[in-house]
Amino acid sequence: MATDKPDIWDSFVHEFNPRRFLIRLAHMEIPPLEVIGRAFVRAAIVGLFLAVVLVSLYGTSWTTVDHLPQNLEDQSNIKAIGTLIFTDFVVPFEVLSIVLLSSLMGAIYMAKGEDNQ
Amino acid sequence: MAYENLAFLIPLLPALAFVITFFVGKKTPYGGALIPIFAIAASFLISLLITIGLLQNPDQVISQSYHWFAILNLGILIDPLAAVMLTMVTFVSLLIHIYSVGYMSHDPAKSRYFAETSLFTASMLSLILSDNILQLFISWELVGLCSYLLIGFWYQKPSAASAAKKAFLTTRIGDVMFLAGIIVLFADLFKLVNGSIPEGVYLLRFDEIFSHIPEIAAMNATILGFEVSHLTIITLLFFGGAVGKSGQFPLHVWLPDAMEGPTTVSALIHAATMVTAGVYLVARTFPMFIAAPQSLIVVAYVGAFTALFAATMGIVMNDLKRVLAYSTISQLGYMMLGLGMGAVIGAEAVGVSIFHLVSHAFFKALLFLCAGSVIHAVGTHDMRELGGVAKVMPITAATMVAASLALAGFGIPGTSIGSTGFFSKDPIIENAYLFGEHAGNWFPYIFAIVAALLTSLYIFRLLFMTFAGKPRTNYGGHESPASMTVPLSILGILALVFGAIVVEPFNKFVNSTFVNNFVNMDIPALAEVGNYELVHHAGQEPLLILWMPVIVAVIGLLIAFVIYYQKAIDMSRFVSKDNSVYKLLYNRYYQNEIFTQLFAVKFVYEGLAMAGYHIDRFIDGIVNVISYLIIEAGDSFRKVQTGVIQHYSVAVITGVSLLVILIKLVMEVF
Amino acid sequence: MIPLNWYLALSAIIFAIGLYGFISQKNGIRILMCVELMLNAANINLVAFSSYNDDMSGQVFALFSIALAAAEAAIGFAIMMSIYRMRDAINLDELNLLRW
Repeated sequence: MATDKPDIWDSFVHEFNPRRFLIRLAHMEIPPLEVIGRAFVRAAIVGLFLAVVLVSLYGTSWTTVDHLPQNLEDQSNIKAIGTLIFTDFVVPFEVLSIVLLSSLMGAIYMAKGEDNQ
Repeated sequence: MAYENLAFLIPLLPALAFVITFFVGKKTPYGGALIPIFAIAASFLISLLITIGLLQNPDQVISQSYHWFAILNLGILIDPLAAVMLTMVTFVSLLIHIYSVGYMSHDPAKSRYFAETSLFTASMLSLILSDNILQLFISWELVGLCSYLLIGFWYQKPSAASAAKKAFLTTRIGDVMFLAGIIVLFADLFKLVNGSIPEGVYLLRFDEIFSHIPEIAAMNATILGFEVSHLTIITLLFFGGAVGKSGQFPLHVWLPDAMEGPTTVSALIHAATMVTAGVYLVARTFPMFIAAPQSLIVVAYVGAFTALFAATMGIVMNDLKRVLAYSTISQLGYMMLGLGMGAVIGAEAVGVSIFHLVSHAFFKALLFLCAGSVIHAVGTHDMRELGGVAKVMPITAATMVAASLALAGFGIPGTSIGSTGFFSKDPIIENAYLFGEHAGNWFPYIFAIVAALLTSLYIFRLLFMTFAGKPRTNYGGHESPASMTVPLSILGILALVFGAIVVEPFNKFVNSTFVNNFVNMDIPALAEVGNYELVHHAGQEPLLILWMPVIVAVIGLLIAFVIYYQKAIDMSRFVSKDNSVYKLLYNRYYQNEIFTQLFAVKFVYEGLAMAGYHIDRFIDGIVNVISYLIIEAGDSFRKVQTGVIQHYSVAVITGVSLLVILIKLVMEVF
Repeated sequence: MIPLNWYLALSAIIFAIGLYGFISQKNGIRILMCVELMLNAANINLVAFSSYNDDMSGQVFALFSIALAAAEAAIGFAIMMSIYRMRDAINLDELNLLRW
């Protein structure tokens, strides 16, 4: 058995067993109060934000349609999206392509570094 | 004999002389002395004629008023009091001017001197014959100005310049009080007439003032918990002015230093005329003082104290003129004491005091002129270097002896034999005795008697040290020219005989000052306003009291004789720096130090400097604090910009959430 | 059908998770990933509204949003590379040159 190469089951047990977990737990260092405090504050702020959003969300009466539309022909809506891109939203589309191009150029230039190649 | 129409010339002629001498004095002979002499001689003649006319009917006083502006007037009032003062001032001024011709003959600036003395005479005369109190104040200030100019005549000497400044500032304190008194008086009078003043009535004229005395006395004011009538306040303020001008304690400090001027200036101003302006003021407003007896008591006390105080300092001085200066202060104290005795004897106090004023003018001017003569001939002030001057200057010595007899008050009571000083000083001391009997308060009398003893002591000390014995140093001198000895002789004769001849009619004349066609004051009634009653001069004091002044004068003479002529007692034990009493007296009770170093420098100057420094620091501190606060606030606020982007996003999220909550709440409220 | 609110709530929660990660992480790459998360949450929102209101423009908007997110991520990573070259670490915590 010891000459076997470790297989999947062995590595699994090696990593995820309660003994190691408990040891890791025992060796684990609880971060100092300061760090936990900071995390708490951040959590509180995000929680506040989340609470505000949820409360305002559930307090608003959204106007919705009664039945979700079902398009039997094109269930993934790609045809409709394509149509809209090239008719109503063609200008944003072209601008977006330019933006993509310029960001591509900028990113490559910055990522290239100082080599003069 | 319409001499009344010439009355306005009395002050005008010397004023014209001032203007003329000021401009052309250098070119005329004797340095421009003749013009003032003629002007003052003319004024003297007019005054003499007016006085003689007034003597015949004393209730026809001369009163002329001219409207000036608003309710003020300019005017002339010559009643018996003013008449005798006018005659005395012009006479003494004339004699001193004649004397100055010889005294100032070597001085290059004598035209300025004569111009200033004639201006002084003009203002003093205008003071005497002003008929309202504002004009009196204006002349008062003018006289002070001339005194400043004349004391600082040799202005190149720094001691003279500072003495002149000291004189002016000290009398200024008195002048401020005087002006305050005038303002209070004016306010009260204005309130009394309720703002409606008929034509021709001038509020500050003396008859108006006197007619309202009972009403002013009824007004009361509460100061520091004491209830005083307005009349007391006004009279005390007037007396404050007199304290400054006449050198009573505590504003007497300028008089000894005023000896820096020429001796003739000392004779004219600080013996005979200017310093008597204060006494004249109190005499002029005497009805007001009668109705406010507390002020009269204050006058009496201050006068008595000054008389003693100055005499104690006079006995140790070594400078010829300083002794005479302290003697002047002491005699002025006697005059104030005499006026203060009006609390007991009423209007007669005016006569007694003014007679002492006139006789003092004669013999004190004579003393100063003799001293000037000695100094002019010998060249030194210090008595310790003199001695035996009588051999060199017999006329001066003889007149000086006459003046000393007058000052010390030698005479035989109950008869008409005696020097002028005897007839003038003794009634004051007798009145002080009456006061002691009547009010049970013996301090004025005791002070007066002790001061008389010291007076005799110091003047005879001066006499013996200067004129008798052998010369102590080699000074070399000669008798003065005739222009100087003739006035001396005239004054000397007057010092001996004037009193005996004139005293009775004089007193009667002046005592009628307040009952004439200008004012008609019932003095005893005024006394009742002040809640007391007068005692009539009995004249039947015990014989010892009558002889006491003469006895102390003789004792003083004997002491001085023994010490300074026979040198029987060696004074060097006492006259040394180790004797603390001597040091106290010699340093004039350290008044100079107290007033200048302690009060002026330490309290006022350093106090102000300290206050200024602290205020500066305080205000700087406030400014600094404000800037510090703003800087610190800015410093704390900028720490928000940490540069770490997560912190910014936290701020954004928090802000958005709070904003939404806030808006929701606000929407719900409204 | 399920109520619209659920989709919106889901979007909000995912946004909150991305936000928390953005605030608390030090590593620049992780922060960029959280930014992507927040953008995706917004996309969910867009698509949900588009679906429930029978309007296709929401989906088009979401398409454009994805494209822009990609561009922005590219640039972001390029910037991270520059920062790494300068400082040898991409601890955005320490990057406070623009502070007071």
